[in-house]
Amino acid sequence: MSPVETSHPASAAPATAAAAPAVVAAPRRIDWFPYLLLIPAALLTLVIVAWPLIETFRLSFTDASLRGESYVGAENYVEIFEDDFAEIMIRTFIWMFLGVTLKIVMGVIGAVLLNAALPGRAIFRILVMPPWIVPIAIGVFMWSWMYNGQFGMISGLAQRFGLIDGPFEFLAYGTSAFLATVVTDVWVGTPLVALYLLAAMQSIPTELYEAAWTDGAGRFYRFRRITLPLIAPSIFTVALLSAIWTFNSFDIIWILTEGGPRGSTTTMIIDTYKTAISRFRFGEGAARAVMILVCLTAFAGAYLALMARSQRDAR
Amino acid sequence: MKLTHLMIASTALAGSATLAAAQETIDIINCGAGDDAAAEVQQADIEEWMAANEGYEVTVEYVPWGQCQERAITLAAAGDPAAISYMGSRVLKQLAGSGLIRPFDLTEEEANSYESSVLSTVQFDGQVWGLPRAFSTKALYWNKGLFEEAGLDMPDGPQSWDDVMTAAQAITENTDAAGIGIPAAEFDNTMHEFLNWLYANGGEVIDADGNVVFDSPNNIETLQFMADLAPYMEEGPLAYDRAELEPLFREGQIAMYTNGGWGRAVTGDVDYGIAPIPGGPSGDGPSTLLITDSLVVFEGSGVEEAAMDLVKFLTDTERQAEFDEGGGWTPIRATARSDELMANDPSWTVFIEAVPTGGPEPSVVDYVAMQDVMNAAIQDVITGDATPEEAAAEAQAELEELAAE
Repeated sequence: MSPVETSHPASAAPATAAAAPAVVAAPRRIDWFPYLLLIPAALLTLVIVAWPLIETFRLSFTDASLRGESYVGAENYVEIFEDDFAEIMIRTFIWMFLGVTLKIVMGVIGAVLLNAALPGRAIFRILVMPPWIVPIAIGVFMWSWMYNGQFGMISGLAQRFGLIDGPFEFLAYGTSAFLATVVTDVWVGTPLVALYLLAAMQSIPTELYEAAWTDGAGRFYRFRRITLPLIAPSIFTVALLSAIWTFNSFDIIWILTEGGPRGSTTTMIIDTYKTAISRFRFGEGAARAVMILVCLTAFAGAYLALMARSQRDAR
Repeated sequence: MKLTHLMIASTALAGSATLAAAQETIDIINCGAGDDAAAEVQQADIEEWMAANEGYEVTVEYVPWGQCQERAITLAAAGDPAAISYMGSRVLKQLAGSGLIRPFDLTEEEANSYESSVLSTVQFDGQVWGLPRAFSTKALYWNKGLFEEAGLDMPDGPQSWDDVMTAAQAITENTDAAGIGIPAAEFDNTMHEFLNWLYANGGEVIDADGNVVFDSPNNIETLQFMADLAPYMEEGPLAYDRAELEPLFREGQIAMYTNGGWGRAVTGDVDYGIAPIPGGPSGDGPSTLLITDSLVVFEGSGVEEAAMDLVKFLTDTERQAEFDEGGGWTPIRATARSDELMANDPSWTVFIEAVPTGGPEPSVVDYVAMQDVMNAAIQDVITGDATPEEAAAEAQAELEELAAE
């Protein structure tokens, strides 16, 4: 009897059952030790993840404020949809979609350039890092000055090249303020995406490119038929992570516009903060937080389903 | 030998712990960095109070302006309040309504030591909920050089709304500067700016009977004034709060703007004048918004009585005057020291003499929501998205709901 058979009596049983029905499998012993080791981590997860979540759900059914709280049923959920919450949700998704799409596009382009055998490649790889390394608040304050109409670089350059007649305040108008927050978010988020995809590109075997080159495949063809399909799982992964971070991004918008002007950059997270923290309406804020959770869960669920299907297809 | 040392050390440690336990701690949350002259004055006063009250240890935690208020309120809501906190007086109604702060018992003499308009910023429901700690009034800064360049003959600056409008238009049309700087960002001083002009036009947000009167003719007239000024404002006023207007004034990009007394320190080389905020066509004359920050005592710290005593000690007439001077604030009380201040620096006169004519921030429980509603009305008339009547009507309805809470 081989060691494999000895250690897996149950798996061997079906093959031998007909020939030797009298053989009785030994009672299976449960090894509790691994579970014991998991207890601290499970407790920690319960305390720092599960309990706040449960508490948020509970609060969302109350009118909790500085005055105390009482149960109000689904009133908070009804009220937020009577306000302009649907508009804020749509704006949040547009903000996220624009931000993530641009980050992925810029990230792929950046990764390709960083992966190319160009002179000074190491320096470029270092130069791409600052937006990611610089503390977000400092980077965003820098952008807020660049958007300033009177003293900012963008308005100044645009005037110098004759694109605009006079100073233009990017953060004073709804559309330009919205786009300005997206641009800043893309600036902050692109380096991580580029480096993540660069790592994925570098894991592609060079033999594939050599074989394609031998067959006469051009650069773009090699990129489309080799690089892109092989980094697709990484693109999906980084897109999901980026979507979650972008959806929950608070500091960029808060520092640049605080959700203004006239609510044009108010996303769900900004709205939740204003309600729960600035106005101390904890119950209403909790209902908004639950809505964020629902959106992200749905988004992550769709992504996981997509991934599962593509893995099945691959098999 | 070692054992003896260990026993002595343990005994000393236990002794000091007992001593520490006998001392009660009064925690103060203060806004700012704690590195200015006012903080030094306060620390010296605290030490004087501790010397006279040996059972107490006072600790001061300085929290940046943007977070200090939220921090103090969040701690109180979580049942772990600081004993004393520095607060914008605008939130006192919310805190009092929530039972989080304790009212002060003031003697008649103590109450009379304040100008009634100043006391009104911390007083409602017949009680005083905080003692004013920092105080500001506003005035109109005007650039003399730009006025001259635009051919304006206003030696004392604009004295009426017509003057303001004439000057703003002339400067915009005849110089490279904007006529006036108006803050209209998503920030409290957008509402504050409007209230300056509103009070100067005899307007109110909530009348003496507690009724919301935002759609009154005086208020609509003030909104119309804002709309009429819009073409002469800095480019994109919705991107500016007051602090961001300071560099524009310093660089000669705007010819007028309102600011507090501290604005005199940030004018650079500009030859400027300071005028009272001119009265509007329906007003009784110049006016200003009165803003106070206060020291409040939270319920539940266990040292409320001592905290009350300490706050009264710190805000005593003489100590407060010294604190005002250290911080460069408008003096809270009219005293010999404030007279001396005006004599030594006449530019204080406009800020101090405006006190009796001024009005407080409107008081509702949800102050931030009120601010958002009023800001929206102001922004809408400046951008032309609504007429003054439409903006006032919409704000009126929303403010009525907030006032009813």
